[in-house]
Order: sequence, then C-alpha cells, then structure tokens
Amino acid sequence: MLQRNSIIGIVACGMLLMIITGGFDLSVGAVGAMSSVVAAAVIVQYSMPLGIVVALLLGLLVGIVNGFFIAKIGINPFVTTLATQVLVTGFMFVGTAAQPVYGVPESFTVLGLGRIGPIPIPTIIFAIVALVTWAILRFTTLGHYIYIVGGNKTAARLAGVNVDRVLVTTYALGGFFAAVAGIVLLGQTNVGQPASAADWPLTAIAAVVVGGVPLSGGVGQVWSAVLGTLLLGIIANALNLLGVSPFWQPAVTGAVILVAVGLDSYQRKRRELR
Amino acid sequence: MLLEMRNIRKSFSGVTVLRGVDFSLKAGEIHALVGHNGAGKSTLMKVLGGNYPDYEGEVVLAGEDVRLITPKTALAKGIAIIYQDFSLVPELTVADNIALGREPCGGLPGTIAHGALRKRSEREAQKLGIRLPMDVPVRSLGVGGQQLTEIVRACSQDVRILVMDEPTARLAPAERELLFSTMRRMAAERGVGIVYISHFLEEVCRLSDRVTIMRDGMVVETGVGAGYTVDSLAHLLVGHDLPQHEAISHELKLPLGGEEALSASRLTVHGRAPVDLSVRKGEIVGLAGLVGSGRTRLARALIGDISCPGEIRIGGKTVRRLTPERATRHGLALVPEDRKASGLALGASVEANIVVSALGKLLSRAGFVRPGSRPRLALEMIRRFVIRPPDRKKIVGNLSGGNAQKVLLARAVASQPIAMILDQPTAGVDIGAKAELHNQIRNAAQQGSGILVITDDLDELLDLSDRILVMTSGTLSGNYPKSEMTRARLLAAISRS
Repeated sequence: MLQRNSIIGIVACGMLLMIITGGFDLSVGAVGAMSSVVAAAVIVQYSMPLGIVVALLLGLLVGIVNGFFIAKIGINPFVTTLATQVLVTGFMFVGTAAQPVYGVPESFTVLGLGRIGPIPIPTIIFAIVALVTWAILRFTTLGHYIYIVGGNKTAARLAGVNVDRVLVTTYALGGFFAAVAGIVLLGQTNVGQPASAADWPLTAIAAVVVGGVPLSGGVGQVWSAVLGTLLLGIIANALNLLGVSPFWQPAVTGAVILVAVGLDSYQRKRRELR
Repeated sequence: MLLEMRNIRKSFSGVTVLRGVDFSLKAGEIHALVGHNGAGKSTLMKVLGGNYPDYEGEVVLAGEDVRLITPKTALAKGIAIIYQDFSLVPELTVADNIALGREPCGGLPGTIAHGALRKRSEREAQKLGIRLPMDVPVRSLGVGGQQLTEIVRACSQDVRILVMDEPTARLAPAERELLFSTMRRMAAERGVGIVYISHFLEEVCRLSDRVTIMRDGMVVETGVGAGYTVDSLAHLLVGHDLPQHEAISHELKLPLGGEEALSASRLTVHGRAPVDLSVRKGEIVGLAGLVGSGRTRLARALIGDISCPGEIRIGGKTVRRLTPERATRHGLALVPEDRKASGLALGASVEANIVVSALGKLLSRAGFVRPGSRPRLALEMIRRFVIRPPDRKKIVGNLSGGNAQKVLLARAVASQPIAMILDQPTAGVDIGAKAELHNQIRNAAQQGSGILVITDDLDELLDLSDRILVMTSGTLSGNYPKSEMTRARLLAAISRS
C-alpha cells in the first residue's frame, strides 16, 4: 500500500505547489509515463544514471513549457496542461509504437520494491520530496511568493513579485516531481509502460483537496498533501482488507472526497455568510 | 414618521454589536449615519435590509409593525440598500444591469424582450433625472457611473427607503455633486427617505437634514445636520480628542532641496503630454486631480507596470527596462488603490502580506530566507502600525478596512523604500485609522523616504503635502508649494481642463 501511495504522494507534493498558485496540472500522468518509458529505453540502450537524468530533465522541460504557456501566453492551466498531456502521450505512442519497453535490469527494482530496514524506498523518496517541498515553502522567496501569487496576482505584481517567473518555476517543479514518480513506477514494474499513470492527475488533486487545500489558491501546507495521500491510501487499503469488490472502491473514494471537502466548504460558506 | 426602529439589539456569537439602538427616518429626508468603523452602523443597516433575521427589537414602517426576515421581505416593503462594493455584472450593459433579475419576458417563456428591457431601463433612469449611456458595459463607466447605475437599479422598484453605504468614498468632487443633487431630488420630489453612511464629515454637515451619531453599538445622539460642524461631529464620533498629529515637529524634516528620491523626465503615458516630476527624500508631494485625470496611470507607469517612453530615476539612478520587480529592488514601493482588487492577497496572512516586498532583504548568504526573520519583521510592523488584532497569522481578508490599509502601508514601509507612491492610502477607513495612517506617512517621510500621495480627499492632500502637483487630462498642469494653496484654489485648479 505504501508503495503505490508514495508515488501519488510524490505527485501530490508538486500538485500542491501548483494548486497554491491557483492552478493545477493535468499533464503529470503523461509526464510520469513518459519518464518511465524514456528511462527504460535509455537504461536499456546506455546506462542507468543517464536514463534517470534524461527522464528527470524531460519532466522539468514539460513543466517549463506548461509554465510558459500559462504565465507568458496566458492560457489557463486547465487548457494548457490538458493539451500538453495529450501532446506528451501522443509523442510517447509515436516513439514506442504503443509497445511497452522491456529489458530493464532486475537491479533497478530496488528503487521501487527495495527497503531500507522496514521502510520501502519509495516511501523514503516520498518523504524526501515532501521535505524538499516544505523547505521550499518555508525558506525560499519562491515559496513565499507562491502564496501571494495564488492569493492575488495583480497585488503580487505591484508588490514587486515577478509573477511569470514564480509560475514557470512552480510548474517546472511539478513536472520534475512527476518525473521522479515515473522513475519510482519503473522501479516497481521494471517495464516502461506508455499507457500507465493516467489516473495520477485527478488522484493527486483529490489527495491535496481532501487534505483541506482549496482550489482557489493562496493557501495550503505540505502536511495537507501528505495527510490527504495517506487518507486516500488508508481507505483503499481498508476496503481491500474488508474484501470489498475493486469495482466498488472508486465509488467509495468518490463519496469520501465529496463528504470531506463538502463539509469543509459548507462550513466556510456558512462562516462567510454571517 | 416613515420608519422607526426601536431598541434594536444584535449580537454575533456572544459579542454584542448593537445595544438597543433607536433610529427614525422621515419621508423625504436625507439622514446621515456616522460612526467609527465597528460602531455598528453597517450592522444596523443590514438589519434594515433583512440580512439578520435574529435581531431583537421592533421595526415600524409607515405605522405598520414589520419583521424583516430576508432581503426579499425588506425589498418588498420598499427598502433598498446600496452596499459599498457594487453588485453589478461588469460585462453586461447599463440597461441589462438595471434590469438584472427582473428582465421582461419575451414571446416564448424563458426568453428576454431586449427592446422592452432597454426602454424600461432608460425610462427608470430618466424618472430619477439620471443620464447614463444604456448600451455600454458598466465596466467601462467610472466609479461614479457605476454608482448611478446602482441607484437606478435600487430605485426601479417602488422604493420608500434608500440606504447608501459610503456612496462618495471613491467619487471625484464633480461626481459627488451630481450624486448629491440626485439624492436631494429623490428626497424632495419622490419623498424617498435616504439613509446615508459616510466618513466625510464636511459633506455630512452640508448635505443631511438630520444626523445620527453612533459609537460602540449605541446612538450617541440624533440632531439637525446644519447644527453640526466637522469638529463637533469628530468629537462626538471618537468620544475623545483626535490624535494630535501636529505634535510631530515638521522642523525635523530634511531640508527641501535634499537628494532626489524619485523622478521622471519626458515620461509619456498613453500618448498624453510628457510628464516631468521629481520627489526629494523626506518630502511629501501630493498629486491632485479628478477621477480619470490619469493619476493612477501615472503611478502605474512610475512603478513600471505600464511601459512608457521616458526616463525614470529611483534614488538618482536611471532604471532601464522598468518592471514592478526592478522598481521594488531599486527602492520604490507602491500602495495601490483598491486594496481588495490590486493591493492585498486577501486569503493570505498578515505576515505573508507585510513581508512580501521586503523578502529580498531577509535572505542569508546562501539565498534562503533566514529562519525567524519573517515573523520578526511582521511583528515589528504590527507593533509600529498598531494593527489590530496584533496577530501575524490572521487572514488579511478578515481585517477591518482600516487595519487592512495599515497592512498595505506596512508592506511598503517594511521594504525600506527610497520612494513610495501612495494611491488613495486612506480610502474608506474611519477617522481614527486615518489619523494613524497620516502619522505613519509623516513618519516614513521623516525617516527619509520621498513620498508621492494620490488622494481624492482635498483636506488630506492639503494636510499631508509639502508640495502639490495638479494633474488634468493625463498630464501635470501645476506645481504649487503648500503655502500658496487653499482648498478653494486647489478645487479650481483640478477642475480646470
């Protein structure tokens, strides 16, 4: 359970940053799949470190492209990242003829299935990503500006914040974290699968939102993304243990999101009306 | 008596806001309601508007006992309220906005008869003697035009009582006069009782038939408008004397002719005649002009938000390829007009807002924000600006107008700017907060910042400035030392164009 959830958690940390700026990223699934496919291909052809580096750089690049279109051109995040998601998936199918990439050495699975003591390595990677996100939000000017940009873009600009740079950097980080998650995924399956990870964007958004972060932007903490991820994971796990049919599980998850977020939003609405 | 509210009480989760208020309104009178922020005047009017069904006390409307449960019941009784923030749809035309929510039905159910709608809206405006272009989107009207649109809309139903919350706060003098004559006509010709909340005491004395003064959820007194002066009203409002800003000696200021803080030469904003101006360190320069004279645009040009041909120097250094970011780094800070739309990140904390422009100065050598430096700066500013409640984690959107404005000024001061541009720094704040803000502005000047103040409040302008620049039709048309300026001269200078 922790292994799969760690992947969503890594993606959710990037998603959190984008949600605080008032946006989100639908291309993280495509980026994750691309990252695992490219890493697999490069590892088979060349070497393991090169594969990882190339995959991460590609993730960063897609993020920068997203940020460029959102900040400089002014397309809204939904349309931009929907387009890049389709674009990246398309390129990937062309490059692989929609076939999985096999032949990654067995030793690579240490990243996805290995453990240090009792703790799975994906969980350690998740923890590191969460810690980095926390540090960004707390100790960097970028982290501070993310909140102000998400709160009021005009105010941020007039207060001397380079809004475009903040947005591009944030989406670059989001793409980078998605690529990290893609590599962990490759470590679990050992196969670069172009058709994988399609559910990441919505699951990651759900995790952040269930953690109590509104999509309107301007607020949010790392622990919200972490808690939301764990909560969704615990629900899925509990349903498995209870022997609930896998077909029912998405329905239950959907209901939990509606109830959890609904309660929070309803209370806020009541408070504002008074 | 058209309206009598007796012994009205209202509390919010244990905090009593209205402690037994009596208020009355005659048909055809203009009745001003004045009080500090938090005195309860807005709450009282919200009770009248049917927003708080759980109030205690009785309301008698034209001899009939009424219970105001919802905004709809209030409206059905002929009570219309225009709030400070307009509830217009910016993209719709004036005619559509006037008819909003009661569009005439066309031939088929669910369709709108556009021709009939436009004619009816026009007729409704004419009835009030208000002229408005019916076919333009309201966003393209100025604040004054939007205000008038709201009035027409509010009065389109059979209105007996019209409540206006701070209708003049953002109007230019000429627009104000138009509004006043409209209010007088509505009262005199149609017998509408008008309740009018305002912080502009002079206008209150001049305009209103009666004045009710509130303090701490109670009515201090109600009297005839002409019987008050600004001083007597101010005294009753605060219950004690105003802070004496004269106590700060002007002698301490840097001598005029000191170093240049901010200057522009041949700055051409939107194709208007080029502007030359200079503000010295320690000097407060007022920028006077009517709404629409281009003052805010000039401010935005100076900070680099609108790129214009011409040269801008900050602290004597020419800044090329000016952007707000570069301007901030070179030591220029802007307090934008309209704190909600372009000033503050409302959902973020007081601390986050205060430190945003100063963050570049809080970095360690490795480029990280030094731990603890943000709270320290925020607390220092909260203390210095007496921001209430003194809680750095408080969400800015929940602060009162005066405190939110203090946060905005604190943000500019926290970056230790060489020059500051303040665009309407005291709009919509109460008289006490205003005095505090004035002291802070003078303080910042004494510490060496050069300050350019834009304000519609002529008294404020005369009170604060060492020198006054007059702006008409997008360019500077006058430069007067304070000693040569009187209220009347200034009014004449800005209305010439």
